[in-house]
Amino acid sequence: MKKASIPAVISTAVICYIFWLLISGGLVALCKGTPDVRNMIVGLVVSIFVGLFSAKFFIHENSFYLWNPARLVQLLIYCIFIFPVELFKANLDVALRALNPALPINPGIVKVPVDLKSEYGEAMLANSITLTPGTITMDIVEEDVPVEETVEPLEGESPEDAAAAVSVRTKKQTFYYIHWIDVATEDPKAAGDMIKGTLEKGVRRIFD
Amino acid sequence: MRIVVDILIVISIFFAFAGVVGMLRMPDSFTRMQSSTNIATMGVLGVIIGGAVYAAFGLHEPEMVVKLLVLGVFYIITNPISGHAICRGAYKHGVRPKKEMKCDKYGEDMVEDK
Amino acid sequence: MSELLFFAVCFIVLALCLMIRVILGPSVADRAVAADSIDILCDMALILFALHSGRSIFLDIALITAVLGFVGSTLVARYLEGRL
Repeated sequence: MKKASIPAVISTAVICYIFWLLISGGLVALCKGTPDVRNMIVGLVVSIFVGLFSAKFFIHENSFYLWNPARLVQLLIYCIFIFPVELFKANLDVALRALNPALPINPGIVKVPVDLKSEYGEAMLANSITLTPGTITMDIVEEDVPVEETVEPLEGESPEDAAAAVSVRTKKQTFYYIHWIDVATEDPKAAGDMIKGTLEKGVRRIFD
Repeated sequence: MRIVVDILIVISIFFAFAGVVGMLRMPDSFTRMQSSTNIATMGVLGVIIGGAVYAAFGLHEPEMVVKLLVLGVFYIITNPISGHAICRGAYKHGVRPKKEMKCDKYGEDMVEDK
Repeated sequence: MSELLFFAVCFIVLALCLMIRVILGPSVADRAVAADSIDILCDMALILFALHSGRSIFLDIALITAVLGFVGSTLVARYLEGRL
């Protein structure tokens, strides 16, 4: 396992310190104007130690990615407005399915392509899909898929050679395997649109 | 204020009830996991939000509000991780759905790899 | 507000219903998921009791129970996958 870098340690320590302040009541005391100085110093030392030892599990690249007000605002919009709507709709759907005497379920596992650049975005979208009732992400794989494009054959090159040269080219594409309680379609693209809905757009706005 | 709190908690109880009924009725392991997600999202959020409203305006204790919100965030963050891990672990351990699935791309791809 | 206690009893009754799934459950995954859900429902009852009594120490207990439930179910998942 590779060593943690300094920015990763700082990021983790800051998040740990925020949680310390929230849980130990330091923030409420600070807002009331009677800060508990000893409590806050102890929290700082403890969170720096925790950051030193556990940063390598959490952060691998781009440590200060979220320390950007625009992205934080996007994250808040995603967590407060976009995601709960989807969550409530899916919850109502699954609850009515479970309470229906006929039990109208139609389970299956579909494979869905995802276009996101960063690892954090992929993890966040997978967790959002799992948190929505009715869909569970089972695995994330990265596969080589051939790029579909037509190229004009160069001079002195037969069309077969050009086609062979094209078919070798591949690109990395991420796939999710998703267990879906009501399989409406098996086509990867259409299923992806139905499952991800507005979620992928919101995640892409944060992490791209 | 009391009415708002009561309505939020009753919504939460309704979704938790639906989740429990689903867990008892569903035919195989994976669909039962879907129902347990139902308990862990709306069943939690209703109580958390209702409780935060009650603690803020009924009890006037900001510390309890903060702790409730931290608890809610913690549930929302950790539940998908354990659900995802249990689902994949169960599939790799050999749990297969009893009812015939419509399509099983994961099983097909796993067979191809071996 | 004594109806908070009534709601807490509702959650406990739901958790007792889930014990059927823990006892019957044909596979390990069923039992693990059902036990996790029982943990969550009991936490909800604990939160409601904390609101009823106005003592925030019960919220700390609920937080610890949530952490332990998460660690336990993740551990069961690791074991099922054969990587423990």
